[in-house]
Amino acid sequence: MTQLRRKQRDRVFVFLLFTLPAFAAILVSVEIPFLMSVFSSFTKWNGLDKAQTFIGLENYKELFLDDLDMWKAFGFTLRLTLGSVLAVNLCALLLAVLLDSDIKGKNVLRAAFYVPNIISLIIIGYIWRFIFSAGFESFYQKTGWGVFMLSWLGDVKIIYFSVLMVSLWHSLGFYLVVYIAGLQTVPRDLIEASMIDGASRVRQFFSITLPLIMPSITVCVFHSLSNGLKAFDVIFSLTNGGPGNTTTTIALDIYRTAFVINRFGYGTAKSVVLFLMILILSIIQVRVFKQREVEV
Amino acid sequence: MKKHSLPATMATIILFILAIGYLYPLFLVVINSFKTFSEITSDVIAFPKRLVWENFQNAFKIMNYPRYFMNTLLATTVGVCGVVLVSSLAGYKLSRTKTRYSFIMFMILIAPMMIPFHSFMISLVKVAKELRLIGSPLGLGVLYWGLGASLALFMYHGAVKSVPQELDDCALIDGASPLRAFFQIIFPLLQPVTVSVVVINTMWMWNDFLLPLLVLSGSKKSLTLQLAAYNFFGLYKVEWNFAMAGVLLTILPAILFYLSLQRYIIKGMVAGAVKT
Amino acid sequence: MKKMLFVLLALLIVASPLFAAGQQEKKDEPVTLNVLFYSPELAEQYNDMVAEYKKATGVTLDITVLQTDYRSVLTSRLNSGDVPDIFMSSAYADNSTYKDYVYDLSNEDFIKQIEPGALQGVISDGKVTGYPFLVQSHSFIYNKKVFRDNGITTLPKTLAEFEAVAKKLQANGVQPFATGFKEFWVLPQTAWQAIANVPTENYGGYEKFTGMLNSGTLKFKDIPQMSQLFDLLDLIKKYGGPKPNESDFNDQTSSLATGKVAMIHQGNWAEDSIRKTNPEVEIGFLAGPTGNNAATAGIMFDSNQTIRIAKDGKNRQAALDWLRWLTTSEYGRNWIPGKVKQLSPIIGAAAPDSYIAKETSALLASGAPGYPWFYQMFPTGTEQQLGAILQGYCAGLTDRAQTLEALDAAYAKIAKAAQ
Repeated sequence: MTQLRRKQRDRVFVFLLFTLPAFAAILVSVEIPFLMSVFSSFTKWNGLDKAQTFIGLENYKELFLDDLDMWKAFGFTLRLTLGSVLAVNLCALLLAVLLDSDIKGKNVLRAAFYVPNIISLIIIGYIWRFIFSAGFESFYQKTGWGVFMLSWLGDVKIIYFSVLMVSLWHSLGFYLVVYIAGLQTVPRDLIEASMIDGASRVRQFFSITLPLIMPSITVCVFHSLSNGLKAFDVIFSLTNGGPGNTTTTIALDIYRTAFVINRFGYGTAKSVVLFLMILILSIIQVRVFKQREVEV
Repeated sequence: MKKHSLPATMATIILFILAIGYLYPLFLVVINSFKTFSEITSDVIAFPKRLVWENFQNAFKIMNYPRYFMNTLLATTVGVCGVVLVSSLAGYKLSRTKTRYSFIMFMILIAPMMIPFHSFMISLVKVAKELRLIGSPLGLGVLYWGLGASLALFMYHGAVKSVPQELDDCALIDGASPLRAFFQIIFPLLQPVTVSVVVINTMWMWNDFLLPLLVLSGSKKSLTLQLAAYNFFGLYKVEWNFAMAGVLLTILPAILFYLSLQRYIIKGMVAGAVKT
Repeated sequence: MKKMLFVLLALLIVASPLFAAGQQEKKDEPVTLNVLFYSPELAEQYNDMVAEYKKATGVTLDITVLQTDYRSVLTSRLNSGDVPDIFMSSAYADNSTYKDYVYDLSNEDFIKQIEPGALQGVISDGKVTGYPFLVQSHSFIYNKKVFRDNGITTLPKTLAEFEAVAKKLQANGVQPFATGFKEFWVLPQTAWQAIANVPTENYGGYEKFTGMLNSGTLKFKDIPQMSQLFDLLDLIKKYGGPKPNESDFNDQTSSLATGKVAMIHQGNWAEDSIRKTNPEVEIGFLAGPTGNNAATAGIMFDSNQTIRIAKDGKNRQAALDWLRWLTTSEYGRNWIPGKVKQLSPIIGAAAPDSYIAKETSALLASGAPGYPWFYQMFPTGTEQQLGAILQGYCAGLTDRAQTLEALDAAYAKIAKAAQ
């Protein structure tokens, strides 16, 4: 073997050495199970019967042609995702910048905003449900402010904001951590050099910091996008998709299809479609953002 | 000498007020955890008449806290270490290798982030059973590797861009093996990201509910804290006094962990390395 | 730091056998039954019973109790082969859901000790697919003191009478109802009671009624009495306070217990929460209105919770022995009435110390009809789906005609898929 060939072989070997562990883990925990489920999507199966009846593309046909509820849920999910991606990223980035600058008590503040993220969403849903109903009533009795008497979880017009608010409250800390880490990687000397050149803080941010933290932004937007599209826990415990089905997200619809109505095959077909939709949106998003990432 | 200017002080004050408001729901959890059931259902925001420490004692006992704490710790530690290990290696390599195959591999490895858990969880339980990973916190930790690796990999992939490529070559020239070079030179420089990855994964694994429920519920002694606390939240009735105490007992270790890690995020390590 | 990571990981892997022990079962150890139940509110009672059984026989019941995730966990465990020896489910439609996994109890001696009326919900294809262990009733629970304080002396039976009572209460500044509309399951139980007499009067019985709905020959929009159902929901909503769509179970029980509201639609399982909030409360049970016919106003009385034995469970015989003990032993027979404080379907069992159970028996004795929970015969999944549609009606999203259309469409879809 030539020297060049050997080098290439070594490179491939090293590449595999570094990447195979992750690949194996992800394969076992996610991708193989998912493919097994995909097989179920071509069957008529209630998730329990020992026999699965193969029905080809029937589930997919029904999904696209005869399931208005699913598309309504998808519409709601998109609206919620759009709102949450914008809100959480803007707030987290702003807060990260503020908490990265020279102010006192940074660590305490960072911890304060992060703590809600530590609590599981199911419990957060219950707590907020409690607050919106019993808590707000107590507030109203003590303050008399009308805002507390609005039907935060019952009025169809307001419930979107209630859900958005709770989900923002929970996830802000997570993205804050990521953005703060990203801000740490911006070399101090570049900032200092620009200050010497007379750049304002705002200018510094947009010309130096922002391009350098693009990787963090890519991660956060990607993560908040796919999390938004998969939203389940907060809806389940806060509103259970109600009133009626107005706050049913597509993940909740899938859960109900598979586990409440016992249409497991059909439910899996829906989740395959959901996955493909997320995949397409994410590929577009990652491609666009990655092009803007800058290396030092 | 840094001056604490007026805008900075104002910002600090505003941020603290915001933080207090932000934590108010948790404050409610805390005060309600010291009330009796009927006190809670009659007035949520009132202060407790007396501190009902029994709630905590009872929750602690019912939740079988010490044992489940160890289980949760084991699953989380194994999970986090595994995730950091496999993701830093893969994220680094994929970021440095700028071929089409590398990008495809990258997409395959982060695609799982987009798959809703419910759609494959039943099959995952089947796979876990085949691999004998069911019924023990250790097995749960191993299952967590694949679940947490995608996001961590994504983060490392991006973070590596802030480490100059010259360093890779420097290390190799010194005759070190690629693995050694990575762990001795590159990995330490990624410390902020590693800390983030550790924090993020510790938090979700510590609080994870659904997978432990599916994989551990057959074995009473292997449960995690989250599973134990959740039992207070019934469909019909929530035992609010125990539930609140249970929730606090569960998240307290996580908060302490987070606070202790805060100081490892040190600024400017990269800058220092470049100068040499 | 990486050295520490490696060392830690290595230590953990070495120490893991200590923790991973849960998988091997030594053959000579006493039997442990693996049990999956719901109703975490009964956790104390479960523990009590487990301790007693262990004392009596040395057999341990390892009970995992869940609620909202119960179905998905049970499904995944049955699927992966990690079958629990004993599990719970609803009766009626769930008989066919779990048909591949349940053991036929028809030939077991202890089944003969169960009231035949309670058994009819678990019989499917001639087999006894489960053990009905509770009899429950639901209708309107009212706070006796609130009624007294507001001068309400005759208990309402018809829609018109309920409306009159509500008006009176409202005029005195008392909120008449806590709706519970936020919970998807409260709406079906409230609504279907309003037409409970209709299937037997007009369609030849509950099974025929359900059959006609399943095959599509009968649609909800063709049933004129559905208007009674909507009237009742409208009434409760109108007199249900400023935020009727946000009231959940917790709100219902605490409001009733403190006297803030006068009536809630709930079942005997709510009594525990109500009395925990206010131990002094006096509660009673009202027959639910079926339109304006006082004679058909009744309560929903049935055994819808079943315990099922897994056909392929590792410890099937031990599980059967446990059920036998539950039915025949002194402690077992007294468990439901004495500890769980609900009505037991065992022939000759004692009456429980519960207001609602006492009132239920009194109402039935006085001639009020006790209707079966016929809506549980509808295909699995309809409770949640139809409940959500009714919730939409109450939230003002659809009018009556649209709601009926939606109910029919949802039902048809589920029925078709269940075939």
